[in-house]
Amino acid sequence: MDPPSLMPRLPDMCRFPMLGMPPPELAPRVGRIGGDASVEESTVTEQCGGSKGRWRRRDPPSSGGATEAESSKLVSTSSGNELAEAEAKHLKAIKSTDGNDNIKSEAEASSGICNKLAAQNPQTTEPPKQDYIHVRARRGQATDSHSLAERARRDKISERMKILQDLVPGCNKVIGKASVLDEIINYIQALQRQVEFLSMKLEAVNSPMNTTIEVFPSKDFSSQRYDTTSSLAYSSQTWEYEQGSGTEWLHMQVGGAFERVT
Amino acid sequence: MMACHFLRALFRIQQTSTSSSSSGRSRRIRRAAYASMAYSAGTRRAWSRALLRKLRSRARLRFPRRLSRAATPQRRDMDQAQVLRKLVPGGPSMDDCKLLEETADYIRCLTTQVRLMQTVMDSISS
Repeated sequence: MDPPSLMPRLPDMCRFPMLGMPPPELAPRVGRIGGDASVEESTVTEQCGGSKGRWRRRDPPSSGGATEAESSKLVSTSSGNELAEAEAKHLKAIKSTDGNDNIKSEAEASSGICNKLAAQNPQTTEPPKQDYIHVRARRGQATDSHSLAERARRDKISERMKILQDLVPGCNKVIGKASVLDEIINYIQALQRQVEFLSMKLEAVNSPMNTTIEVFPSKDFSSQRYDTTSSLAYSSQTWEYEQGSGTEWLHMQVGGAFERVT
Repeated sequence: MMACHFLRALFRIQQTSTSSSSSGRSRRIRRAAYASMAYSAGTRRAWSRALLRKLRSRARLRFPRRLSRAATPQRRDMDQAQVLRKLVPGGPSMDDCKLLEETADYIRCLTTQVRLMQTVMDSISS
């Protein structure tokens, strides 16, 4: 890049340090711009040099496909805000791909999407930047916001799966997500079937219950049965009257009746 | 809470519907069981909300009949998530994370309900 082609870009570059760009050598310049307007010329020239350095760094063809895509995007973008965002993404991509060659392609593929998102809504790009700071990626893991969110979601799902494995009996020995889900499905089906079966059985027991008292005149048997039913009836009636405080008492009563019977 | 609601419903069913058929009564008992589960869970859970909505709209509680056992091992992950969605009430409108969470709560409630019904059963039949 020759300096004449850079000259029309200079007003854009002037806004560069205002946008909170990370390079520390630019920070004092911001203060100077805010403090004194007469020094602005010198700062412009300094920034020209800095941006020249940036352009020069992009020039070598050995920097990979991502940088080429970035530079083409940079040429196409006109506003300084978008430029800054693209530059930030570019720097981060370089940082993240420094040591790990295996994730380079992934980062390259997703950086284009990130750029588009940043161009669409520049205000909402701040929270992902926070994520870069707080979420630490292990070696060999991608660091862009999409894969971070995906990883968080996967962690959540595996955590829930662990809870479910604890709930379903005999599920701890099973390895593999598919078989665990299979066990869970079978367990739920078994439980629903059991509810169905028990309701049928309860119906079968319930209907002749009123008559069994007369049919089997065994003394203690019928009296116990009568006790159970009467306590149930009484507790349900009282629960209708005092709904708030009656529940514990009801549990006590029902539990006592059960203990007496069994 | 669950026990008291269920016992109340059971007693009411026993009192009122002596004339109806046995299948209708067993359906009513099953319905009471699910209703007591949903009431005890309240409205903070998605599955109980779906169940309560279904109960309020007086639709028949329909749970999928048993699926073919032979096809289970070959089924893949996504299909199993769909099956789970069908099993858990209100499942079709959840994402994966929510579905697993609700499934855990649903299983917990279902286990309690089964234990409760078994206790009632034992106490009556013994």
